[in-house]
Amino acid sequence: MDATILIVEDDRSIREITELGLRDAGFEVRTAADGDEAIIRFHNEQPDLVVLDVMLPKRDGLEVCRAIRAESSVPVVMLTARSDAIDIVVGLESGADDYVTKPFEMPVLVARIRAALRRAQHIDPAETLTIGSLRIDVLGHRVTINETEIGLTPTEFRLLVELARRPGQVFTREILLERVWGYSYLGDSRLVDVAIQRLRAKIVPESGSQELIETVRGVGYRAVR
Amino acid sequence: MFGSFRARLIATVIALVGLTAGFVAVTSFVLVRNSLRGQLVEEAVARAEFNITVLASTDQLAADAGRDEFQASGLVDRFVLRGTDGVYVEFANGESFASSLGLLAADDLLSPKIRGIVERAEYGFEFLTVEDTPTLAVGGRRPPSGPDFYFFYSAEETDSALSQLGRVLAVAGIGILAFAALGAGLIARRVLRPVAIAARAAGIMAQGDLSVRLPAETGDELGKLAVAFNQMAASLEREIGALLEAQGRERRFVADVSHELRTPITALVNEAARLEHRFQELPDTDRRVGEMLVTDVGRLRHLVEDLLEVSRLDATMSAADLSVVDLPRFLEAVIADRHPAADLTISDSIGTIHADRRSLERIIGNLLDNARSHAPDSTVTITADIRAGELEIAVTDNGPGVAEEDLPHLFDRFYKVDSSRQGGSGLGLAIARQHARHVGGDLTVRSGSEVGLTFDLRMPVTQPLHPGDPAENSVPHPEGEEKSTPRSTS
Repeated sequence: MDATILIVEDDRSIREITELGLRDAGFEVRTAADGDEAIIRFHNEQPDLVVLDVMLPKRDGLEVCRAIRAESSVPVVMLTARSDAIDIVVGLESGADDYVTKPFEMPVLVARIRAALRRAQHIDPAETLTIGSLRIDVLGHRVTINETEIGLTPTEFRLLVELARRPGQVFTREILLERVWGYSYLGDSRLVDVAIQRLRAKIVPESGSQELIETVRGVGYRAVR
Repeated sequence: MFGSFRARLIATVIALVGLTAGFVAVTSFVLVRNSLRGQLVEEAVARAEFNITVLASTDQLAADAGRDEFQASGLVDRFVLRGTDGVYVEFANGESFASSLGLLAADDLLSPKIRGIVERAEYGFEFLTVEDTPTLAVGGRRPPSGPDFYFFYSAEETDSALSQLGRVLAVAGIGILAFAALGAGLIARRVLRPVAIAARAAGIMAQGDLSVRLPAETGDELGKLAVAFNQMAASLEREIGALLEAQGRERRFVADVSHELRTPITALVNEAARLEHRFQELPDTDRRVGEMLVTDVGRLRHLVEDLLEVSRLDATMSAADLSVVDLPRFLEAVIADRHPAADLTISDSIGTIHADRRSLERIIGNLLDNARSHAPDSTVTITADIRAGELEIAVTDNGPGVAEEDLPHLFDRFYKVDSSRQGGSGLGLAIARQHARHVGGDLTVRSGSEVGLTFDLRMPVTQPLHPGDPAENSVPHPEGEEKSTPRSTS
């Protein structure tokens, strides 16, 4: 595997040891030590995935994440030193696909990176799905509403496809975590909630009409039939 | 609490006013009655004297005259003309005369007292009731030896005036009492209003709002009370504010410390993990040091993680975060993650429940960690059941257990039963109990019958769904149920 990973981390020890660990795991690695450098390197290197620390000098990780999201759907895995619910949710809302809490172990980070990269690959069979006025070209990785294309991140796309394949069926957060993020049963279901929110905001149908993805209170989510 | 005081105050005022009014009324009634009757008696006696000495003089009526002569004399008509309502005469010869039917019984009506006075040749009077009419009787003996005249004057006018006065006094009395009650009520309210305000303010303070103050407009005792209350409130607010601030600073400091420690620990953990692969290449003594380094880095890491968890739990006020948990699968996953050798026995009736899965994971995970480090070679069993709406999970080991006196302290932070044993952070059980209480349940420990320890987790669970595929069978839950937290059901 020669995917290129950009590590953005201000702490030199973590940056170096993470670089070593990811190299050992077979990735190409680039590094940046602050927010401004992260943006420059992101433009120059065109990485396949970004590992992004939240607390950074100059421009914090949330800002960097939003800047990346504004122009790219490349997977972002956040490194956070706070496990406070609010920090994680804010991180995910800024567009991150997944997060790893410090202190992390290298195998965990590698597994999360691999799962995020898998989502970004086009491995689905050729099919076209529809929910309401939404058309999903699975092979072409394209989503359109009334001929207008909508830009989704790989994670959002996977989530939408998973729901759209069985319209009307309720998926629990845990099942979505397993199938979309590749988590074991003990993952953090807030990943699902925040991704659903972001997805909904992007696929708003004509004003006033029904949500395409419904919340089933206490259970999970489903796509409308 | 003021109701009874107000009632007492009003009752006291009414009693005092009532007594005073009653005394005044009775006194004035008696005075008026005596004055009216005295006047009546004076006039009546004057008339009687005139009747006896002038009209019925010996010229008109002989000393030995009897009833017939008296009737023939026409004196009765002359008495009546002069304002006498009736007359009863006892003659010297033993005969008697009554001017009306009612006075035929005068012999019985007149008291021995008045008769005695008359026999002493003096004028006497008394009040009687003749034919249901209040009547004044005045008696006198015509000198020197009779006959004895008793003249009767109606006292009806006087008595009706008196009873009218009585009615007026009674009405006035009732009016005064009503007025007194009203006045007392108003005074009581006015006096008690600041007290009621103070009580309300104290109630608000008790609920945690220390910013309430009383209006202190007057300089009287209540005004001073308000000033004192406000001073107390201000000093409480200051003290508690300072305390809260200090507590907040302390918590922030712990959180900051934990946070700052995470970065170097992340580096350490990964650096140590890399070195671990090379230990085979090191000489024995160096390898031992390397292994110790790896172990100690792990300990440091867990300590910091647990410290962060404790400071987070201390600071959090948030309600339990409920979601659907497939309990058998969940417990299997936690066991696989934390203590793969543990045995799980779960009641068939348990399928999917509503619970705070993060808390549940921390509780069960920490109990398994504890069993693994303190009863390393023992059999660990987990049983789960639902009884009376409560989820009961027991984690049992058959390890060495602890002394009875240590049991209550197992959940204390940093409590170490055996100081030589170096296991986890010393916070795991405290964190587990904190989580259990956070979701409205509790975590307790008891000694096994012979060896080992059993930890019992009880927590309320909201209505379990039917076992089976929640994705296909479940229906949306009513709003209320979804919002309810275990905290509110306990």
